[in-house]
Amino acid sequence: MHALVMLTRANIRSFVRDRTALFWTLAFPVIFILLFGAIFSGGGDTTYNVGWVDQDGTAASAGLRQAFGQVPLLHLEDGTLQASRQAMQKGALNGIIVVPAGLGASVAAASGGPGSPGAAGPSSAATLEVYTDPSQQTASTTIRQVASQVVASLNVTLTGRSPALGVTDRTLQTQDLTSAAYLVPGILGMALMQLGVFGAVPLVAQREKLILKRLGATPLPRWTLVGSNVLLRLLIGLVQAVLIVGIGVAVFGVQVLGSLWVMAALVVLGALSFISIGYVVAAFARTEEAANGIVQVIQFPMMFLSGVFFPLEIMPSVLRPIATLLPLTYLGDALRQVMVSGSAFAPLPVDVAVLAGWFLVCLTVSARFFRWE
Amino acid sequence: MAISPSGQDGAATPATGDGAVIEVARLRKRYGDVQAVDSISFEVHRGEIFGLLGPNGAGKTTTVEILEGLRSPDEGTVRVLGIDAAHHADRIKERVGVQLQTAALYPFLTVVEVLDLFRSFYARSRPTAWLLEAVDLGERRHAQTRQLSGGQRQRLSVALALVNEPELVFLDEPTTGMDPQARRSLWDLVLRLREGGTSVLLTTHYMEEAEQLCDRVAIMDHGRVLESGTVEALVTRRFHERAVFFDTLPGLSVPELEQLPRVERAMLEDGVTVLYTGDVSATIGALLGRAEQLGLEPRNLGIRRATLEDVFLDLTGRALRE
Ligand SMILES: Nc1ncnc2c1ncn2[C@@H]1O[C@H](COP(=O)(O)OP(=O)(O)O)[C@@H](O)[C@H]1O
Ligand SMILES: [Mg+2]
Repeated sequence: MHALVMLTRANIRSFVRDRTALFWTLAFPVIFILLFGAIFSGGGDTTYNVGWVDQDGTAASAGLRQAFGQVPLLHLEDGTLQASRQAMQKGALNGIIVVPAGLGASVAAASGGPGSPGAAGPSSAATLEVYTDPSQQTASTTIRQVASQVVASLNVTLTGRSPALGVTDRTLQTQDLTSAAYLVPGILGMALMQLGVFGAVPLVAQREKLILKRLGATPLPRWTLVGSNVLLRLLIGLVQAVLIVGIGVAVFGVQVLGSLWVMAALVVLGALSFISIGYVVAAFARTEEAANGIVQVIQFPMMFLSGVFFPLEIMPSVLRPIATLLPLTYLGDALRQVMVSGSAFAPLPVDVAVLAGWFLVCLTVSARFFRWE
Repeated sequence: MAISPSGQDGAATPATGDGAVIEVARLRKRYGDVQAVDSISFEVHRGEIFGLLGPNGAGKTTTVEILEGLRSPDEGTVRVLGIDAAHHADRIKERVGVQLQTAALYPFLTVVEVLDLFRSFYARSRPTAWLLEAVDLGERRHAQTRQLSGGQRQRLSVALALVNEPELVFLDEPTTGMDPQARRSLWDLVLRLREGGTSVLLTTHYMEEAEQLCDRVAIMDHGRVLESGTVEALVTRRFHERAVFFDTLPGLSVPELEQLPRVERAMLEDGVTVLYTGDVSATIGALLGRAEQLGLEPRNLGIRRATLEDVFLDLTGRALRE
């Protein structure tokens, strides 16, 4: 146990003191997310496109539209609920406001005088539905606040007393290219992939420098050696996760919806399967340079074919079968589902099963072919 | 001090049992076309410094690493501390110290960190301060190993072999890359270890090192042990005479030199002629006379006792050079 602690400390020290390793595993993903986040979240224009779905068709709803239309922050686009939802999912709209049927009647009742049923408070018939994407935090808060304010002032004008209108928030996760919420889980997956696969390089270096051989001449059990290497990678993986998710939340306003424990479990599982891929690389690469080359050949295509930066749906269909084989596709998908309730490429259990499968296969292969000297 | 008679297989070495920390019998190891170790046998007694002496490629490292449990033998038996090293190497590792020919160090760890790391691998260990003092690395204790000189790395590598207070230490060319001063202080350390009861198996291609340090040596070449025993025995068994040497004179051939009085053998080696003689003054007198007749003058003329170098030259016809 003492040996495991000492060896892990030695590995952490070596890692931290080797500036190149530090750059690639920690600084690189951070730079990546800041850069891509800034490009994709396209700041600047302060108007939000909001779908206007009028299911009521009364004078009241037309008045409501006029009221909302005067807000400079919003640009309204009329449409049906279905069309608007599709537009929002494609990223053309930042939110949707739905005026349900019966609203006009309800408002009329509310302004009709006390004693009428609608006056007691907002009934379902008198409720605006506002769809926003919580991962686009600024857009969603702005739209919701604007809606509440407009409704509040209308309530006062309509009744002079109690509010007759309320707002119900609805969430709808978008597959919006410009959304940092899409990027953050993907980049976390990418970072874990690089962390694991790049693990092959120091491992081969330690073998080339005969460190593994020298350790083999001590009573240190092999499992302690492997265990401490894996432990180091897992620790770095968790640091990466905290950094990347932290930046996503703090800088790009991404909301983490899912359980942190489930996320941590996915980070560990993902790291393990990529670490095992790293071990397979280390089993076959003879030199540090060779290991580096193989790692690049693995990580670059994987980075671009796994839907880290854009949804698989917009990938050319020729490439899609490749994506369905890559573990990063499933790690990104699982993290996206859990973190920001993104739409699924595969059900979560399938993601987990694929990652576990990669882990077990690579574990077996590397156990069979790994050389200590 | 036990003297084992020579023999290709060393089979004549008495079976000492308890007295032996290493017993090697008919050990063979092959790499492709190369018979790296070709049926060698020898024993190392408890408390002695034993040297495997031979040129590069002789098979020293292969032999030592089989004993350390790092490589497996093709044939033969190897017992270390009474334990079969081919099958139960894990039982040996706690009790022996290993220095590999090439120092293997974590480049980004400091000297102290590497020592403490290795100390954590063993049930019992020497204090870090003792180790630093032993190899004189106190001043470099907080330097990362990648900043050490070759000799310092080598010394750290030796210190790592002593971490667990081993009964038996393997040192594979321990002084390669060291300056003469560091080499001498390492020799002192090895001698001190012997005083403390530690047995040492070291390999070297420095004759002087073997002569200064080793109680017994085995001379290896091309995977075989050519001869083994005390340095004294190896030299006197072969040379009762002394060696007269001088820069080779072009006019004097080997057959002619061997005609000089009391000369038993003449050898030419890298521009130096060596005459082994039973009577130094008679030989030198005759040599100078013959040279004068030819109008020549021997340069750098000198006399010495025969050394292991001469034994090796005689055994193989080649010089053992660094
Ligand atoms: N792992 C190996 N693979 C192939 N050949 C080897 C290996 N180890 C040693 N040899 C060969 O075996 C011979 C003996 O090598 P070695 O034991 O290193 O000699 P020494 O230590 O005396 O210099 C050399 O010819 C060397 O090339
Ligand atoms: Mg060697």
